[in-house]
Amino acid sequence: MIVFEKVTKIFRLPHDRRATLRQRFVSILRKNTYEKLYALRDIDMKVNEGEFIGVIGKNGAGKSTLLKLVAKVLEPTSGKISVNGNVAPFLELGVGFQGDLTVKDNIFLYGALLGMNRKEIAEKYDWIIDFSGLERFMDAKLKNLSSGMLVRLGFSITVSIESPILLVDEVLAVGDIDFQQKCYNVFENFKKDGRTILFVSHDLSVVERFCDRVVLLKDGCINHQGCCRDVLATYKMTVTSA
Amino acid sequence: MHTKSIHEQTGTNKNSSKGNLRGRNNYLSLTLIMAITDFKIKYDNSILGYMWSLLKPLLMFGTLYLVFSVFIRWNVENYRLYLLLGIILWNFLSEVTLNSMVLLEGKASIIKKIYFPRWIIVAASSLTSLLTLVLNIGVFFLFFVFSGAHFRISALYLIVYLIELYTLVLGLALLLCSLFPKFRDIHHIWEVFVQLGFWATPIVYPISIVPVKYHKFIFLNPVARVIQSCREALIGSGSEFLGFGNHIIIISIAACLFVVGLAMFNKLSRSFAEEL
Repeated sequence: MIVFEKVTKIFRLPHDRRATLRQRFVSILRKNTYEKLYALRDIDMKVNEGEFIGVIGKNGAGKSTLLKLVAKVLEPTSGKISVNGNVAPFLELGVGFQGDLTVKDNIFLYGALLGMNRKEIAEKYDWIIDFSGLERFMDAKLKNLSSGMLVRLGFSITVSIESPILLVDEVLAVGDIDFQQKCYNVFENFKKDGRTILFVSHDLSVVERFCDRVVLLKDGCINHQGCCRDVLATYKMTVTSA
Repeated sequence: MHTKSIHEQTGTNKNSSKGNLRGRNNYLSLTLIMAITDFKIKYDNSILGYMWSLLKPLLMFGTLYLVFSVFIRWNVENYRLYLLLGIILWNFLSEVTLNSMVLLEGKASIIKKIYFPRWIIVAASSLTSLLTLVLNIGVFFLFFVFSGAHFRISALYLIVYLIELYTLVLGLALLLCSLFPKFRDIHHIWEVFVQLGFWATPIVYPISIVPVKYHKFIFLNPVARVIQSCREALIGSGSEFLGFGNHIIIISIAACLFVVGLAMFNKLSRSFAEEL
């Protein structure tokens, strides 16, 4: 279960116009001024156990910030988020992959970064290799793999995590049709397992297919939330009217 | 297409991991894996590979030994061992503190995307350097045997001093790393300090050439105390620094640095994702 209570996140973007040496020198003495950017404003939201929630909105609406707050990567400026259960971050596939290491080493490194211990990764190793279809390249250096293979590897490691809460940020947009189909099957299974999933996507058809409930963000506020059809209709309307 | 769920495949129960936040065991795994990875990457594209972690202090030792045994002569018993031990220990301090800042910067993309306790990065970096230290101490003992020095029971003190040094250096690294994302200058400033400290500590020269009235300033530096004590335990004849009081001083400074460093790091690392 995830509960947001009046969560606000403000980013401070410094005005950085220090072009010349003199300006640089002066700016040491003068305090930098900041632009306040409200990424999220007074978000009140509750995600129940086993719910598949879609988060939609335009670029810069605060979708990724919302996920990062749940993942504890960012801290809210004010308000409180309580998360009950382990969180597996799906924020970006293959962050932290090391090109100079073999596929095998990378599986262990990435798995550990995502919160598994050595024994758990070893147990899932065969499954990961099998699911990613990279048996032949186990001992190849990662930098020699194609970008599609990297994505498959990243995805395979991430889905092998057994945490009850998953955060998915636009990962299905990559990979070929076969692999996308595999991904959909995985999500079906997650749903069956009763895991809680926060799903950010611009692909409305996928959102419609999987999500029990959809939250529409606009300029850091919840514009509309509720059942899939209503919210998607609202979103489409704002897009066409703009 | 049918895809088996990972849970059916591995036969594990998903409820087992429910509720309890990632255990201590997993953090340990991550620290170790990260340390090993960094060690591998560091020497990956070089022909001599891991040998470099031994060669670097040895080359520095060679240069300094040439200068200070041929051109200038100190009256020190077993000067080779004296110098090598000093260099190895100081090198450890310099490597842990500087590398952990570099590593922190290198891991920026991960920090922005995935949550894990940030101290793991510093711990991993310190472990990589610790491995180098242990290898270097091994080389030191080779020299030790060949130069005909006698092994004394007080040499076992070395282990105690290394633990004290490790705590001290880890605290220092945490302190520096906590400030690093906001003030990148600290890396350059610290580099200068490490150079300065190298010459302000009796590593190359014997303490006897320093006027006695300055001794107390030199030994304000706890690392100078550690280096001097290690020498006394292993090769030297004096026992000025092997006393209980010296331990108390080193341990209290190390503990203070560690506690302050950890507290600051825990506080400031929360915003690392935004600052790096």
